[in-house]
Amino acid sequence: MKWMLGFLLIVAVSFAGEAESQVLARPHDLWDIIYKIWLIISVVIYAVVAIPSLYFMVKYRFKPGEREIGDQEHEGHWGLEALWTIVPLIIVLYLATHGFALFTQMRKPPENAMELKVTAFAWGWMFQYPNGKMVIAQAIKDTDDKKCKPEECYGIDGVFQNYVYIPAGVPIKAVLTSQDVIHSFYVQPAGVTQDMVPGRTTYAWFQINKPGEYWVFCREYCGQWHSRMFAKLKVVPKEEFDKWLKGEVADTGHEGADFKTANIENNKAQEVVR
Amino acid sequence: MREAIPAHKPWFSASLWEWIFTTDHKKIGIMYGVTSTVFFIVAGLMALGMRLELFNPGAQYIKPETYNWFLTVHGAVILLWWAIGVWASFANFLIPLMIGARDVAFPRLNALGYWMFFAASVIALLTFIPGNHIMTMWTGYPPLASTEGIGFAGTTALFVFIWHLTGFASIAGAVNFLTTVISMRQPGIGFFNMNLFLHGIMAANVIQLLGVPSVAGAVTMLFLDTYLGTNFFNPDKGGDPVLYQNLFWFYSHPAVYVMVLPAFGVISEVVSAFARKPIFGYKSMAVAIWAIALVGFMVWTHHMFVSGIPDWVKILMSYTTLLIAVPTGIKIFNWVATLYKAAIQYRTPMLYALGAILMFLIGGLTGIPLGIPAFDIAVHDSYFVVGHFHYVLGMAVTLSAFAGFFYWWPKVTGKMYPEGLGKLSFWVILVGSNLLYFIQLIIGIWGMPRRYYDYPPIDSWITMHQLQTYGAFILAFGVLLAIIALIKGAISGEKAPDNPWMSNSLEWRLPSPPPPHNFDEPPKVEEDYCPHGYCKF
Ligand code: HEM
Ligand SMILES: [Cu+2]
Ligand SMILES: [Cu+2]
Repeated sequence: MKWMLGFLLIVAVSFAGEAESQVLARPHDLWDIIYKIWLIISVVIYAVVAIPSLYFMVKYRFKPGEREIGDQEHEGHWGLEALWTIVPLIIVLYLATHGFALFTQMRKPPENAMELKVTAFAWGWMFQYPNGKMVIAQAIKDTDDKKCKPEECYGIDGVFQNYVYIPAGVPIKAVLTSQDVIHSFYVQPAGVTQDMVPGRTTYAWFQINKPGEYWVFCREYCGQWHSRMFAKLKVVPKEEFDKWLKGEVADTGHEGADFKTANIENNKAQEVVR
Repeated sequence: MREAIPAHKPWFSASLWEWIFTTDHKKIGIMYGVTSTVFFIVAGLMALGMRLELFNPGAQYIKPETYNWFLTVHGAVILLWWAIGVWASFANFLIPLMIGARDVAFPRLNALGYWMFFAASVIALLTFIPGNHIMTMWTGYPPLASTEGIGFAGTTALFVFIWHLTGFASIAGAVNFLTTVISMRQPGIGFFNMNLFLHGIMAANVIQLLGVPSVAGAVTMLFLDTYLGTNFFNPDKGGDPVLYQNLFWFYSHPAVYVMVLPAFGVISEVVSAFARKPIFGYKSMAVAIWAIALVGFMVWTHHMFVSGIPDWVKILMSYTTLLIAVPTGIKIFNWVATLYKAAIQYRTPMLYALGAILMFLIGGLTGIPLGIPAFDIAVHDSYFVVGHFHYVLGMAVTLSAFAGFFYWWPKVTGKMYPEGLGKLSFWVILVGSNLLYFIQLIIGIWGMPRRYYDYPPIDSWITMHQLQTYGAFILAFGVLLAIIALIKGAISGEKAPDNPWMSNSLEWRLPSPPPPHNFDEPPKVEEDYCPHGYCKF
């Protein structure tokens, strides 16, 4: 099976597009290629089916006295049927193969990627940087006597929710696992999703070129507060990131909201990542 | 002159006692239909509740655990009771009539199957008791579903029993339907001149026979893990949570064809009847159905593209997944070709069937990218997926089921439904559904994750969620109109002729409603019998 796929890969690579470097994020730029191809093909196919259908629906209406029964002899045509077997077959084989080529690129982290260990727990993530620095992003939960307003629930309070700093233009290899149930790691601007499975290590890689604030969401249902399991990425230029990593800047705008105070004692996420 | 025999009470005016102990396929079919529709409404109401909560970001009316419970019931009930269950209703009622038999092959097994389904319904209702809610989602992935205390998954046992009981009913039904079609056809009705609906039902039930054991095993292990401390899926003790996903989707992907193949069958029946023309490419239609059923068993890991399985498996199943688009395309093109040189009558069932075709095309076209890992990686478990399966299930399957209701209503009840109200219901449903489901596709491309009770206050997201909620209420109003039309027809409709649509198919040669034993003597079928022809009599 694998050699067959290998052969297809060689075919595939020959028409895989090369992405420009000045793009918002990767693999989103690769995804964009297949997205646009799919969109165009779909619109064309929809038109090819819907326009004749609507035309026939209008033209071949039942008309008393004039057209009361359809053409009883018109029961099939092997040429036409072969046509709409073979053309779709070619289209889907092309789509699958082009997708294959792109996917190979999406899954292969560059050599110089920075490794970020991420451990999920119900409900939040712990991020661990190469030098051991840790950041926790934990869901803000409503309690019986207190509900947060939408801006608060999805804001950065600096105690449980901290900015996850990421250097711009540097490929990141996120090494993922979970310490309880299955969660998922979705970096919105990069368009990459990967489940975080207890007992397994999975990975995803991405690179965001434009500094700014971005969302990370959990995309695998993980219970009560699944919908508030998010993190905020703060993508900053490399120099600024290095300073932050060394602890020369406070990690959030909030006073005294150092990640070390982030409730680490009773957070089980600690136990898993060594 | 069957009306002249007064001893024939219409078969549906029976006492409660007769209903409970009946083994008549028509009565059992009706019972399936009523149960399915009631649960369809329940699941729809819960969806409206979810849509209300999502109207604005932040906590509105319900708690997250309530949302999760609504969503679990909405998903499980609408799939098992409606998208699968409703076809058991059609199959029961129609198979013997279409092949000229007096009943199904195993009438008592059939009744047992229905009562298992009923027992599952009781369990589903038990989950409404506070403290018994299930919050596992219809997929019930461990370790969430198998671990108490983390994540609030609710009473997993009820989730497991629902699968066991509906699974039992499915297998009983499958054995019965397959045997009936294979061995009880009248001479003259062969595999290549029987109703396409029968092909759809048979293929669906072969899938049930082969697939249900797999999911039954998965949920049984889930039960053992949860309550008896086994560790099939417990990673701390060497188990593997991804194993569950494999076993689950090995059935639950083919299960989507259990839902959609009978729908294809209904569309073929309705389109050929109202186009007054044989279906175009009968043989390729039948072969396509079986091809879909076969290849459908080789694609399950497309639900697991981000679960941490090896990349080469993803690519392999990406090819098989996209291959399914080919037979599916054949069906759509053949339906369109059937309209060529037709004499189309726009009655309510035809509107529903044509709507189902054009909406299914959107469902299919949005399914293709989900089978391409390079695309899926960005939209997996997003609202794009939600939009995709609502186009397939919420539109194609549901519109076909309504097409079938309106189409066979004269045969089942002996009364005509009100045409104007029926047509109106179609247009309202079409507008509401597209508003709701198309926006799900858009917001999914933007990144909105699936199964979210709350979402961040991003302006464009809020607008899109509000539009969806309006769409949901328009859709619900349309469904209400359709149900009113059907009930009104059954109560006070005009008397239906035996064959109001001039179909050539065998069930229309019986009186409406059919007498208790269907055919007094085995019906003679002409040599060139073709159920999709225009009636020459
Ligand atoms: C009144 C009409 C309907 C509305 C308003 C509606 C709305 C919804 C909503 C809001 C969700 C949850 C999305 C999320 O949070 O992830 C959902 C999920 C779902 N719906 Fe519907 N829906 C409707 C009809 C249907 C129909 C007719 C079907 C199938 C025949 C269907 C099948 C499903 C399934 C399978 C799920 C996934 C459940 C899960 O994620 O576990 N829905 N629907
Ligand atoms: Cu989650
Ligand atoms: Cu699937």
